[in-house]
Amino acid sequence: MALHVPKAPGFGSMLKEGAKFFSGVEEAVIRNISACKEFAQTVRTVYGPHGMNKMVINHLDKLFVTNDAATIIRELEVEHPAAKIMVLASQMQEQEVGDGTNFVIIFAGALLEAAESLIKTGLNPTDIADGFEKALEKALEILPTLVCHEIKDYRNEEEVTKGLKTSIMSKQFGNEDFLSKLIAKACVSILPEKTTFNVDNVRVCKISGSGLTSSSVVQGMVFKRLVEGSVSKKEKAKIAVYTCPVDTVQTETKGTVLIKTAQELKDFSKGEESLVENEIKALKEAGVDVIVAGGKVGELCLHFINKYEMMAVRLNSKFDVRRIAKTTGATALPRLTVPTPEEMGYCDLVYTDEIGDTMVVVFRNESKESRVSTVILRGATEYLLDDVERAVDDGINTFKCITRDGRFVPGAAATEIELARQIAKHADTCPGLEQYAIKKFAQALEVFPRTLAENTGVKPNEVLSRLYAAHEEGKKSEGFDIEGEGLNFKDAVTAGFLDLFVTKHWALKYATNAACTIIRVDQIIMAKRAGGPQARPAGPQDADED
Amino acid sequence: MQHQIILLKEGTESSQGKSQLISNINACQAIADCVRTTLGPRGSDKLIVNNNGNATISNDGATIMKMLDVVHPAARTLVDIAKSQDAEVGDGTTSVVLLAGELLRQVKPYIEEGVHSQVTIKAYRKATNLCIEKINEIAVTIGKTNEAEYRASLEKCAATAMSSKLIHGQKDFFKKMVVDAVLMLDTLLPLDMIGIKKVPGGGLEDTLLVQGVAFKKTFSYAGFEMQPKSYDNPKIALLNIELELKAERDNAEVRVSNVAEYQKIVDAEWGILYDKLDKIHQSGAKIVLSKLPIGDVATQYFSDRDMFCAGRVPEEDLKRTIKACGGSVLTTVGDLKDSTMGTCERFEEKQIGSDRFNFFTGCPHAKTCTVVLRGGAEQFMDETERSLHDAIMIVRRAMKNDAIVAGGGAIEMELSKYLRDVSRTIAGKEQLLIGYAKALEVIPRQLCDNAGFDSTNILNKLRQKHAQGHKWYGVDIMNEDIADNFHECVWEPSLVKINALTAASEAACLILSVDETVKNPKSGGGDMGGMPAGRGRGRPM
Repeated sequence: MALHVPKAPGFGSMLKEGAKFFSGVEEAVIRNISACKEFAQTVRTVYGPHGMNKMVINHLDKLFVTNDAATIIRELEVEHPAAKIMVLASQMQEQEVGDGTNFVIIFAGALLEAAESLIKTGLNPTDIADGFEKALEKALEILPTLVCHEIKDYRNEEEVTKGLKTSIMSKQFGNEDFLSKLIAKACVSILPEKTTFNVDNVRVCKISGSGLTSSSVVQGMVFKRLVEGSVSKKEKAKIAVYTCPVDTVQTETKGTVLIKTAQELKDFSKGEESLVENEIKALKEAGVDVIVAGGKVGELCLHFINKYEMMAVRLNSKFDVRRIAKTTGATALPRLTVPTPEEMGYCDLVYTDEIGDTMVVVFRNESKESRVSTVILRGATEYLLDDVERAVDDGINTFKCITRDGRFVPGAAATEIELARQIAKHADTCPGLEQYAIKKFAQALEVFPRTLAENTGVKPNEVLSRLYAAHEEGKKSEGFDIEGEGLNFKDAVTAGFLDLFVTKHWALKYATNAACTIIRVDQIIMAKRAGGPQARPAGPQDADED
Repeated sequence: MQHQIILLKEGTESSQGKSQLISNINACQAIADCVRTTLGPRGSDKLIVNNNGNATISNDGATIMKMLDVVHPAARTLVDIAKSQDAEVGDGTTSVVLLAGELLRQVKPYIEEGVHSQVTIKAYRKATNLCIEKINEIAVTIGKTNEAEYRASLEKCAATAMSSKLIHGQKDFFKKMVVDAVLMLDTLLPLDMIGIKKVPGGGLEDTLLVQGVAFKKTFSYAGFEMQPKSYDNPKIALLNIELELKAERDNAEVRVSNVAEYQKIVDAEWGILYDKLDKIHQSGAKIVLSKLPIGDVATQYFSDRDMFCAGRVPEEDLKRTIKACGGSVLTTVGDLKDSTMGTCERFEEKQIGSDRFNFFTGCPHAKTCTVVLRGGAEQFMDETERSLHDAIMIVRRAMKNDAIVAGGGAIEMELSKYLRDVSRTIAGKEQLLIGYAKALEVIPRQLCDNAGFDSTNILNKLRQKHAQGHKWYGVDIMNEDIADNFHECVWEPSLVKINALTAASEAACLILSVDETVKNPKSGGGDMGGMPAGRGRGRPM
């Protein structure tokens, strides 16, 4: 497969046969860096509103069309140990902030690229890492001074929309206004009074057909299912939620019913019928209008449910059952018992509807108490829907961050340029070898305006020099405008390109940490994989052969 | 430089860059070429043999795309939009694929020259919005006030939908039937309340529309022949009970100690069955329908008492019977009352072709109807069914959204002209919407090509007419010429066109926005990393 790498005499022979062993600056560090660079290059083209999409076909043959870096790297199955560190860093970002995953990888890649040239000039990797960390400290110091906008009232839909726009723009360019409004509406409407916002309370329901602009928000939940019985609409309904199947109880232990006399045989089924009827009747008398079951609704039960004009909905996922219990304020019951008034939930309207040609059951709660809202996404293809869903996801996460910290910094690469400018200045005041590394850190930050320009099809160098000039004049929020023709610059704040402060804060941190970790590695030892080399699968056809 | 440690898993395929984009476009065009010839009244049909050896003859874009089993990742997008169009509107599936293919074809030279694909995407999105605005502006609303006029306009929509299908020869016959069928439904217009039954034999004109329910005679036991086959105003009991001697419960066990007790048990079993039958009889029901089998004992019991029964009735038929006749499906015989039983004016069993059919007509609720389709070959009837489905969907859409536009390429030409006008006012790269304008012309062009006309000639004539402001001029298939299609009554609901344009441009933009494909090696099971995106959110399955 590859060149034979000469092993250090002695050490290699101590290891089990098949183990790989690399050490030294040339072999380990440079190699790691070039692998990471290559990896960062892959996701660079998806950065920004003009970024391209990737088609990723994962090992289960599922196709993703996306420009969400988190999805791409998750499906890519990265093998390289150093590149995996970058993946981990970006996953941390995903968990902490939920957005800006691409930023982490690109920046870590740029840092490593900068480190490579420093190593080649003879700098010690440790010095470089120290320098990077110092620069990071400085950057995090400067960052709060760049805050240009703050959302104080995160219940104000309009303000929130503004904050979400940039995050959506990089995923679904062209639809950002519509989507951010939708997300803001969905999030703000269910914001609880006291507790914090839970990402899980905004649901997404994808229904193919029509166009994206027909998407809407529903207060409550939407399920792609049909009702079980014949009743399909209930207003002001009281809801009983069961996690169990609504059916005659089956014994777990295998048993037989022993019948001794003819009379017993005759009474048997009659007894069963009246038993079920009594159970259902009791529910009706308790005031239940809608029964939500976590399992099968038995035929006999259904008959009586229909008879007493109740609505039955079956949900397959127990998470959905839990959520519906939360939405309606019901207590999910593990057994088919009559709920007490406190255990019953309430919903303004439960009905079936046809969207496209998909039948859905809608639990709608107009009142303030609704704790779950659903975004119904429409779109022509499944892949598009999946991708929009990811964008909505990012938007919701951004909202979560807004509720915690509503500070914003200018977007459109203005923040990065300003940071680069100030850090470069700071570098000159540092004695010692770190100075080189700090300077390179500043240079690495340039990768963002550069990538934006490249992805838009504009000359990156020209953009950079113009941006620097503008920032030198004191226009701190001057950013690159991708919408105009060719070279265009705009004030990011007035144009509404705002990035979350926390996103930038954590992204810088994680990226630098990842880069430093990789630089500090000087030996790689890989044990032989258990089970021997895997046989290549018998020739899957190249995707673009036609 | 070769890596000692590989970056991605072994066996991962990856392709990137402009060539990748071009190759995706080529794949999509190949798909579009497949269905190209089926467009329009003179379009040809396709015969597809699937891996089971079953042959399907179809002219319906969505059906063909589904049967093709496309594996190319980019081309699968086109299959998706065809399906989505089918779901949303039910017709226009060929046009949507064709349009998407053409949109991509127009952009290909620009991509090759190095225009950034995001610029084209932006232009296309803008063009789509312009088109939709324009359609809404010029669409004509059908008046609902005048009953006869409303009906006539619905019929015209149905006729246009059918004119491109196999049954276009009989479209006058069918358009009435389709509109009748849809008008019989209740406000939600549920599609499954129109049953389509296929009976081989006879001619297409023998197809009949039943105002009520009709289904094929079910399997019956001895004694069935003695039952009467027609009733007036019968009561109908709808059951979900097995009327047969059977174990009451699977895991019940009977232990008897003496012979006398044994006889009693046997009697009791019979007793249970007769008890049920007696109850049904006492309720006054004349017709007994059950989802589960009705055995010979029950069959003979009923025929002795001048009653009719049918077991193993398919569930959807039973549901439609409820809609038509009222009543509800019962799981026990204890509740048989007048309120839970249905009724209809007339029930009869009739012979159609080689099959016997049960007819329920004159139903009090009549929210449902059944089309009994006749015809020669099986494939032919399948295709007729699909065509009727399309026509029914179109009429439903026309009723829900009452705006219509002229078909036959007229609306496409008008949009094309409008976009050309707009593009002249734009200075920048977004002038690319002229590509969209050119792509729209593919519909009239293909209509001509399929009919064997000189498309260039006809298109020139059309452009001239539209430039003069005659906005409804389109291709006249009958006379190899152009005509005012609004007058010629070639009408389509505007929703069909709007949805087609949105879907096509969304698909085109999606394909254009891809610059890299990475294919991971297949793994055996769903182990790690196989979790779909979005952390399990938003998948209400």
